[in-house]
Amino acid sequence: MRAISRFISFSRNLLRKRQRDDELDAEVRGYVDMLADEKMRDGMEPEDARRAARIELGGIEQVKEQVREARAGAWLDSLLQDLRYGLRMLRKNPGFTLIAVLTLALGIGANAAIFTLTYAVILKSLPVPNPQQLVRYTFRNGDQDIGLSGPLYDSLRKHEAAVQDALAWSASDLAIKDNGVSTGGDADAVSNVQGALVSGNTFRVLQLQPFLGQTFSDSDDVAGGGVNGYQAVLGYSYWREHFQANREVLGKSLNVNGKSATIIGVLPAGFDGLISGRRADVVLPLAFEEVVNAPHPARNLPGALWLTVMARLKPGESLQSAEANLKATEAAVRKEADPTNTYLGGFFKGFRIGVESGRSGRSFLKMLYSRPLIALEVLVALLLLLCCANTALLILARVSSRVREFAVRSALGAPRRRLFRQLLIEIGLLAICGLAGGIVLGWAGAKSLVAMLTSIGQPPALNIKPQLTILAFTAAISVFSALAAGLWPAFRASRTSPLLGLKDGGTSTQSKGVGAWILPAQVAVSVILLAAASLLGSSLLHLLLTHSGFRAEGLTMVDVDLSAMKLDAIASTRYAQQLADSLVHAPGIEAAAAISVPPIHDWWSAGHYFSVGQNGAVHSDMTLWDEIVTPGYFPAVDTPILEGRAFAPADATGDRVCILSAAAASYFFPKESAVGRFVYSGGADQNADGKSKVDPNDTYRVIGVAADAHFRSLREPPPRMMYQLARHDEMQSQFFLVVRGSSSNVVSGAVREAARRVVPGAAPPVVYTFDRLVASHLTRERMLTALSACFATIALLLTVMGLYGLLARSVVLRTKEIGLRLALGANPRDALRLILRQALRLVLIGTIIGTIAALVAVRLLKTLLFGISATNPAIFAAVVLLLFAVALAASCIPAWRAAHIDPMTAVRYE
Amino acid sequence: MDSEQTALLQGTLDMMILKSLDAAEMHGLGISRRIEQITHGTFQVKPGSLFPALHRMEEQGWLASFWGESENNRRARYYRLTKAGRRQLERETDRWGKISLAIARALKAEG
Repeated sequence: MRAISRFISFSRNLLRKRQRDDELDAEVRGYVDMLADEKMRDGMEPEDARRAARIELGGIEQVKEQVREARAGAWLDSLLQDLRYGLRMLRKNPGFTLIAVLTLALGIGANAAIFTLTYAVILKSLPVPNPQQLVRYTFRNGDQDIGLSGPLYDSLRKHEAAVQDALAWSASDLAIKDNGVSTGGDADAVSNVQGALVSGNTFRVLQLQPFLGQTFSDSDDVAGGGVNGYQAVLGYSYWREHFQANREVLGKSLNVNGKSATIIGVLPAGFDGLISGRRADVVLPLAFEEVVNAPHPARNLPGALWLTVMARLKPGESLQSAEANLKATEAAVRKEADPTNTYLGGFFKGFRIGVESGRSGRSFLKMLYSRPLIALEVLVALLLLLCCANTALLILARVSSRVREFAVRSALGAPRRRLFRQLLIEIGLLAICGLAGGIVLGWAGAKSLVAMLTSIGQPPALNIKPQLTILAFTAAISVFSALAAGLWPAFRASRTSPLLGLKDGGTSTQSKGVGAWILPAQVAVSVILLAAASLLGSSLLHLLLTHSGFRAEGLTMVDVDLSAMKLDAIASTRYAQQLADSLVHAPGIEAAAAISVPPIHDWWSAGHYFSVGQNGAVHSDMTLWDEIVTPGYFPAVDTPILEGRAFAPADATGDRVCILSAAAASYFFPKESAVGRFVYSGGADQNADGKSKVDPNDTYRVIGVAADAHFRSLREPPPRMMYQLARHDEMQSQFFLVVRGSSSNVVSGAVREAARRVVPGAAPPVVYTFDRLVASHLTRERMLTALSACFATIALLLTVMGLYGLLARSVVLRTKEIGLRLALGANPRDALRLILRQALRLVLIGTIIGTIAALVAVRLLKTLLFGISATNPAIFAAVVLLLFAVALAASCIPAWRAAHIDPMTAVRYE
Repeated sequence: MDSEQTALLQGTLDMMILKSLDAAEMHGLGISRRIEQITHGTFQVKPGSLFPALHRMEEQGWLASFWGESENNRRARYYRLTKAGRRQLERETDRWGKISLAIARALKAEG
């Protein structure tokens, strides 16, 4: 009842505002008239009576204002009024508005961009029901997280009681020939597609329903694909892009790696597979591996670690109980999967089976970027704080120049909270504009970061979409920024005493106290950001300047994939040799070679070899990197031969020869020359005396020693390596070419031409320069350096702006004081010193706090730095020096102005 | 403490206004004079409190207002009690009766 009556009044107040106001005016004036009549009746003169009545009323406008505030909807009314006023104030000061909005937009945008990435890489869950129930079994050694072998998977599936069932997933590039269905014509066209091979129970474990048709069952995951042959399931986006979302696709057959497979279903939209960055466009049963890796299937090899194994916890079980269960069964699982312990205890010594949350699937990006992203989140949060501090200083300056306005308003009866709200509204408007700018900046930033993360020849590494979570996060940080920047200035300003404001010429000294702690805080944050940027930059520089062991200029890399041609190792090896040969003879090419494992790809190669020293001592290495190359390798990459000679074509026949890297040579033959000695493949224990009865096929004569090369990664020391020649069947259907030529264009033309001629049935090779490879390899470091440098630059700029603003205002406020001092005989240099001292004190406090904080904060970066200590004193000294130099520059103009104050003008101003 | 007192006074003012309009409809000045009269000058209602209270109570549906002529032929806004206002007055009278009785007892017991 009452609510309805209030609501009617509410609408009436809004709709008939003018009329209500006129009536109110008439009513209050009538009251005054009647009061005056009353007083005249008591014998007062009409004029006196009127004045007395006015005084008794206490101001018509004030009374009216009080009534308006008591009315329903008054808040909305005055809110609109404040909003209009706020907009007008912001429009009136475009410079202030622009800088404040830009500052906020930068802070918010940077946070939004980094958070988008953090969300996509770390926080996002798989789009399956109850992803938190999923666990992933890992095989890791420190940071190295490799897959599990087929036997390990089988054994885990048997022994792990805490989980319902375990699935196995492997990303695999597939060569698809769909009889022209997707290409719309060319029936023989082969396209290379990102695919996955999965165990038959995979979609049951994931509880993933297909968008169309059906998914696999256990009976599909058998040799030959079961009674109906191989079955295939398509990814949603692949189905849309290549089959135009045609529902008739079910039952059609697809030629995958030369075998026919029937399409039985389409996966739901949004599900890109379990391995982030590797889209599952075409999914086949795990048994199809016998086709992909023919003729050497890896499914049952104890030493092939290629499976991602995930499982769903039983109800009531937790990650902890799964861990406990694994701990109890690990020994049995290992024994069963590798009875001789050759692989799990030998090559992969130090690797342990583990179980972790499988909520977001498996992500190499997560592995590589979790720590950098956490560090970046900290840096970017600091940047936001800095932006807020700067905005606060700006608002404070604005507010203190509006003291007179506030004094007038409060004298006219505006309550304190009304002034407070007015300011908050203005700040809110700034924050909304900042938010809008931040969203635009953030989205652009996130997209360019994803482009940066995407490796050569691959589709985008991350699938980012504008999302509610991210939007909510962005909105939250802008509210935070608005409050952080505006609350204190608004609170201070709303307490303006009408007397103070009106008496004084509209200036105030109240902001000085606040600047005294905001500015050192800004300087401190700048120190942290600058230190982080310098450390990361030095680390990147170190990595780039590290001699990789390869001569980058003129070197081009080629990825070749012949799997579509269904070759055995003998044929693959022959094609590799032919490709290298035909390239060597192409115009503009200096040297070319095929290699088995590419450099600087974070790949890994390991073999078991031993040597016998002159004194009979046996040196055995189970993880020697054995690289298979064709004879042109050393001229192509230009790794210097330190001793002996490089390969000659004739070495490919006859006795086996090898070239050792310097590290391997000094390991196998300490204090001796390696050239002319022998290295044997296999375990030393079986041939303890070394000299007798060794199979000539296992014996390699060392013909040269090459300089060390960072074959695995620039971040790690060079591995011990042994180069062997491709002779017969050493190459797989995927191999690589290293080509040295006059220009990358010439090389890529020659490579395409050679591929067309030698291997016409294969997917086109991927060609990229060695420099690009290094850049891509160092993406993480480049990204960290670029972002932290960007943050540090913004921080420095903001701090300079803050310092300059503060000093400039301080000079204005102290004009009288300085003028007086000058008039009393002080030297202008003293005035200069006065301002500089103020600046340096603030900066000094800031640098001390900042340096201490930075020394703690850089711990986050420790594992991300190479060739430089996180607490490198030179870096910190440089940062502090830079800040002082910049601060000095920012103080120059205000200090100069202070020294040139005309004493007469300044004093007269009083 | 402070805010309790204000609440008490606000409640009191509402009741005084309702009470003064019980007998007859009145304009603003009349109401404030009537309150002075019935409280023997204990309460002096300032326009700054009176007008907001009148408008608020009208919006709550306790009062109705109309334009009329004052004794001196001036246009004035008159207020009268509505049915809801009369009920509210009864409730308030009842409540105040109870409160003042309780306070009187409490004070007596202490003495």
